[in-house]
Amino acid sequence: MNKKLVFRRARQVCQIFFLALFLFLFRQTDYTGLDTIPYAVNLFFRWDPLAAAAVTLATRTVIPLLLPALAVIGLTLVFGRVFCGWICPLGTLLDGTARVIRPVSRPLRPLRHIKYVILTVVLVSAAFGLQLAGWVDPFSLLVRGMVIAVDPLFNALVTAGFDAVYFHGPGWATAVSEPVYDAFKSFILPYKQSLFIWPAVSLVMLAGVFALELLGRRFWCRNLCPLGAMLALVSRFSFFRRKPLLACKNCEACHHECRMSAFDDDRRMMAEECNLCLDCLEFCPKQITTFRFTPPVNRAPVDVTRRHLIGAGLTGITLPFLVKIDAVAKDPSRRVLRPPGALAEEDFLKTCVRCGECLKVCIQNALQPVLLEQGLDGVFTPRLVPRLGYCEFNCTLCGQVCPTGALKRLTPAEKHAFVIGRAVFDRNRCLPFASSTPCIVCEEHCPTSEKAIRFDEVVVTGAGGAALTLKRPYVITDLCVGCGICEKVCPLPGPSAVRVYPAGEISSDLYPV
Amino acid sequence: MDRREFLKQVALWYAGIMTTAPVFRLVPRAMAGTSASPPSGIIVSKGEDYFKITAAVIEKMGGMGRFVKPGAKVVVKPNIGWDRSPEQAANTHPQVVRALVTLALDAGAASVQVFDRTCNEERRCYQNSGIKPELEKIKDPRVKCEFIDERKFVPVKIEGGKALKEWQFYKDALEADCYINVPVAKHHGLSGLTLGMKNIMGVIGGRRGQIHHDIGRNLADLNTVIRPSLTVVDATRLLLRSGPQGGKIEDVSIRNTVLASTDPVAADAYATTLFGQTPDAITSTVAAFEMGLGEMRLEKCTITEV
Ligand code: SF4
Ligand code: SF4
Repeated sequence: MNKKLVFRRARQVCQIFFLALFLFLFRQTDYTGLDTIPYAVNLFFRWDPLAAAAVTLATRTVIPLLLPALAVIGLTLVFGRVFCGWICPLGTLLDGTARVIRPVSRPLRPLRHIKYVILTVVLVSAAFGLQLAGWVDPFSLLVRGMVIAVDPLFNALVTAGFDAVYFHGPGWATAVSEPVYDAFKSFILPYKQSLFIWPAVSLVMLAGVFALELLGRRFWCRNLCPLGAMLALVSRFSFFRRKPLLACKNCEACHHECRMSAFDDDRRMMAEECNLCLDCLEFCPKQITTFRFTPPVNRAPVDVTRRHLIGAGLTGITLPFLVKIDAVAKDPSRRVLRPPGALAEEDFLKTCVRCGECLKVCIQNALQPVLLEQGLDGVFTPRLVPRLGYCEFNCTLCGQVCPTGALKRLTPAEKHAFVIGRAVFDRNRCLPFASSTPCIVCEEHCPTSEKAIRFDEVVVTGAGGAALTLKRPYVITDLCVGCGICEKVCPLPGPSAVRVYPAGEISSDLYPV
Repeated sequence: MDRREFLKQVALWYAGIMTTAPVFRLVPRAMAGTSASPPSGIIVSKGEDYFKITAAVIEKMGGMGRFVKPGAKVVVKPNIGWDRSPEQAANTHPQVVRALVTLALDAGAASVQVFDRTCNEERRCYQNSGIKPELEKIKDPRVKCEFIDERKFVPVKIEGGKALKEWQFYKDALEADCYINVPVAKHHGLSGLTLGMKNIMGVIGGRRGQIHHDIGRNLADLNTVIRPSLTVVDATRLLLRSGPQGGKIEDVSIRNTVLASTDPVAADAYATTLFGQTPDAITSTVAAFEMGLGEMRLEKCTITEV
């Protein structure tokens, strides 16, 4: 094999390795029979410098969980944007789609500056208390899209196929398909079908990133990705670079073939745009390109103007105030239930990077993305929707996978005491009250060791006129932790007759102690 | 046919079968009439080795061979409803389950299935009840401790039902050659106690909460469909309060008792007395007795201790 091809192969192997690691960790983001998850499934977020910077700025604290991000910065200081070219799973997937999606035209003019603008908006907004990283962080987009849409969709399609054979196929077909299905379930499919609110939103956002490949290879990476922008700025100081720093006169190869379009109109190479894919080792007709350690000399300035940055800075300052003047954020009736271990609401909103890890891991599919119900600030944060799924009393998984500590890691004892909300009965609907029908399924399921739901025994006159002894439930508010299993199991059609509402924080806002 | 055409055909076929209603090819097992031959015998055993006392009870009943014929498909149905540990007494004790599974294997069963439609998350329940880990130790491919497969719930007409006319049942439970019911006896807020009759809730589909509206009668109706060959009640530990899932060790009373009967009503009736109550306190026992599913008058039963 030609030596230059070896480099390319090495890069591809590395990319595939990290993609496989990413997918493996994605699949491991689930209950495995142990109360603790044995792998650092949130690794890709924990070494994400963009998330680290945005959370640190917004909370004004250093989050120890995010320290691995320094390793990526260190790597970039030496080698430049190898992270983009060799590690990032989104980049790898985009490279992979290049075989399918071919650019329809040459990009009209370079749009590299947009990513610096986005980065600036995110960081300035963060400094003013608004966390926008989740909208544009590549891992947030990718993981959330996979959790909410791609993975459930994949499972639904595959399962529908096997179900069709199971229900309609002849006996011999089922004998073949069921073992295959079992193998799929053990190795490829998620443990169960999860359902999320409005999967189309996350799907379209993720698909959009791929669709942009129509406008040019790695369109997202070179023009939009704020993490790429951040690493680009760092790599202005990196030592490992391509030589020569100028594209040759009368040769268009670099200009046309470079997937990152790292050359400006004056043929100068912008080292910070290069993701070290090493393609130019091969396509250079004169075979003069090399990569080696050299002092960080930059011939061209960063492709962004002061105007752009000022505009971005002003936007970054304005957006947090746009959120602050939104009544939605002040409206107590719009408060949602946060997962167990969540920080106080204000800190939670600043710390959560909307990665979707907790949605993925939730063993009851109880966590759902917030969409517009809480205004701009709350979009894609997790909320507990008990009617769809309740919080399992002994489970502490979401706190374990949260990469930023927006959900704290809880011990079993802390979990049992953590108040997510409080249950309230609606006596107009609750069967023993509303229609003198025995029920108390809620009491049966209430998991607190001293039941938070109790009942009064009353004798009433039944429909036929005969005396009837009924058990009528009520909540001992101090014992209720708001797990929501009562709301989930209530047999009424439509909304449950017992519902969990946010507690604690909101009431202390209203009635300061 | 070119590739495009072929793909089109496959897609059409796929779409076609996915949009037609499912057809169940199941003929429910013939429903047994009242079979308990009087006098109903109840065998009780006490001891700290739960595997041993369970085996002793079966031995006394004439051995597992009486219920499990070689090549039989056996279902052992414990209560695995809750994400609780064995000490918390919310689920059937793993040693009791293991004893029955082992005996059924020894009797030549072709397969022994153990399952329950759980209330908490099923993987946590199977694991933390200790039942799945314990059965894995047997290392016999005939033992199948699998999670419920939602596709296997099939509608069954309840011929003699007084309150329920039709409900979804788990196919494997209906098709078993030998169905062994292994409830754990414990407190329950609505019905007072949960025993063998209530354990059937683990093999039915649909929205089970509705069963509570007339729980005694409904349970009796459901129990006309699945008639266990054998009911083994785990009373090794009794959850006296905060049932059916408890959580506090102080609410558990250690009794080291296992009892069995071929008569499901007699088994429940006897188990009730362990809580200091009389059989007529439990509405499902009374309803089942009235329907002729078994004997609840303990004075008419022979009680043997081993
Ligand atoms: S919300 Fe509850 S059930 Fe879901 S992952 Fe968190 S702790 Fe587990
Ligand atoms: S939310 Fe309902 S079930 Fe959960 S602790 Fe409160 S009362 Fe009990």
